[in-house]
Amino acid sequence: MDSSKLKEDFPVLQKSKVIYFDSACTTLKPRAVIEAERQYYEEVSGCAGRSAHALAKKTSELFESSREKVAKFLNAKPEQLVWTKNTTEALNLVIRSFDYSSRKKIATTRLEHHSLILPIMEQQRRGIVKMELMKTNSDGTFDEQEIASAIDRSTALVALHHTTNTTGMKAPLEKIIKIAHENGAAVLIDGAQGVPHSHVDFRKLDADFLAFSGHKMLGPTGIGCLVGKSGAFEKLDSFIVGGETVETVHIGSVQFKKAPKRFEGGIQNYAGAIGLGAACDYLEKIGMKNVEEHEKRMAAKVMDAIHSIPGATIYGAPAAKDRSALVSFNLKGVGKHQVALMCDSYSKIALRSGLFCAQPAMESLGAPQGAARASLYVYNTEKEIETFKETLGKIAKLGK
Amino acid sequence: MIIQLVLFLVLCIVALPIFAILSIFSAKYRALARRALYCVVRKATLRPCETGLDDEIKAQALSGIMRLSPAAAGFVSRNFQAFSFLFTILLIASMALTAQGLYNFAVYGNCNGPEGGFCIYNGLQNPLFLKTPSTLQGIRAGNPNASITVFEFGCYTCPYTQASEDQVLSMLKKYNGSVQFVFKPFPLPNHPHSLDAAVAAACAGDAGKYWEYRAALFANQAYFMEGGDAAFKATASKLNLSGFDSCYDSRKFLAQVQTTLQEGKECGIYGTPTFFVNGKAFVGLDSGNKAEAEIRRLLGN
Repeated sequence: MDSSKLKEDFPVLQKSKVIYFDSACTTLKPRAVIEAERQYYEEVSGCAGRSAHALAKKTSELFESSREKVAKFLNAKPEQLVWTKNTTEALNLVIRSFDYSSRKKIATTRLEHHSLILPIMEQQRRGIVKMELMKTNSDGTFDEQEIASAIDRSTALVALHHTTNTTGMKAPLEKIIKIAHENGAAVLIDGAQGVPHSHVDFRKLDADFLAFSGHKMLGPTGIGCLVGKSGAFEKLDSFIVGGETVETVHIGSVQFKKAPKRFEGGIQNYAGAIGLGAACDYLEKIGMKNVEEHEKRMAAKVMDAIHSIPGATIYGAPAAKDRSALVSFNLKGVGKHQVALMCDSYSKIALRSGLFCAQPAMESLGAPQGAARASLYVYNTEKEIETFKETLGKIAKLGK
Repeated sequence: MIIQLVLFLVLCIVALPIFAILSIFSAKYRALARRALYCVVRKATLRPCETGLDDEIKAQALSGIMRLSPAAAGFVSRNFQAFSFLFTILLIASMALTAQGLYNFAVYGNCNGPEGGFCIYNGLQNPLFLKTPSTLQGIRAGNPNASITVFEFGCYTCPYTQASEDQVLSMLKKYNGSVQFVFKPFPLPNHPHSLDAAVAAACAGDAGKYWEYRAALFANQAYFMEGGDAAFKATASKLNLSGFDSCYDSRKFLAQVQTTLQEGKECGIYGTPTFFVNGKAFVGLDSGNKAEAEIRRLLGN
């Protein structure tokens, strides 16, 4: 995999020459994805599953073939994939419509994104569920004992990240899913930072639900997915109902369609779905194993670059092999926003700074005021990391 | 807490007027000005700013300096709040000077006050907007029937009026028969004894030696500005001006001088000397030469 060559596929990088280290927020889009969206709007622009004219048929064909592509990308079946707006909507869909009639506990961790922890907190506020936090260590690692003690026969759902957006570290999903299933609990995985950066085999993962966004994996904004095991969707009540979610409607009675259509109310984001299909094609072409390899290499380089700065603090476990190419850090004597702003104005390096929509996570990692974050992807190169290191070194001196 | 608040407040205070002025010319600064205003209001009411504007300004400034010299950037970074204070003081000082300039502009017609010189507000002051005097009241010389009338609004204690005196005398000598010349005293209020000098010159004129006395006034401006009454009287005595002291002490011609001063204000005079050559105005240091050139042009020379 040649990142320098891949760069040519990204119009933003060709136009602005930015060093884009903010892929955990959103990734840049390759020409193939932009072209797929353009093609839908310019050549088709119909609605799927409703009208019978040629444009509508073409739309249905493109829309459903995209579903197949994305499902195949995760080794899932097309009927297991529900289109959503983004990961947030997919997580809300499961947490808010899950059947809590016999079990009321949701186990999660402090390391989660607000999009996962807030719906749980909301359900708890309404008295629908009780939130149980699996204790994690200050370096973002898990304690097996704690996992076992947080999940029991009253647990309805275990909801947690695949990879965090604060440290880039992966949760020990195999163990957690095993314990959850042994206790009869369903598992919801926030794959927003996992699916784009590592090879995720949904069947092998054995989770009940997996949520992720298109825009974090080179796809368009406004499109996400919820993938569910066969039968898992039966545990969910309706979420957003409307056009195309029903077989028949009479005043007083309604017969809903089966998943995934039951959860796709109204006209869908066809262009987004088609664009996400193109993004999956693009990533397949690179190969997710290659993406993982590249990320590991980049993670090690970025960690080394930051470690070389005296007084720098990296949050999470120090070993790079546990991470995707995402590192949150602070420099001594220089504010997080200053670091990000100066990287931008001095070297056109795009970083994020703040709490990353994960305030409890940052608190538990020992950065209650937040940090700066570098998150890399397929288009980033070692040369860019060198520039980052040099820039960071100069900025760090300002704090002395 | 208070110190920290003040430290952060200063950046917003500096930013607000700068962005407010820039926003007149470019929409992109309007959002920044709004953020700065929000910041000032928040900080002034002991609430956090949260706009990140101070961080952005600091980052932009330090990045620029870092490109030139990382060591200098480090120095500025370590003393950033001190620099912010310095800029705030400079801002307040410049605001005070601006206010002074506006006051001078309103009172003396020039932001530098009586000394004159380049003034940014002078864009508003254009000789084209001046009104030609409608009366011949003043010190008159030359041919009353000439086709060219030259008015001069001048102050006996003004160095620019003094500097133009050679051109005035040259004009009167060269074009005496072709030009009617009217000098209208326009004593600048901030020059010491400028009004007294105008009154004294009028008294000298009453005694028949205006031009001699005028020459003496311009020959040693500092002497009159420092010496006042005694200097005026001593000069009159040297010129043997009979009745000068009683004329001067009684302020006999004060009303006449005030009339030309008022006339000058109505004409929009904003600096001395101001010449009008058949209605065309010339203002300031080089105006005498320009007026003479205009006379030459009108005479076809």
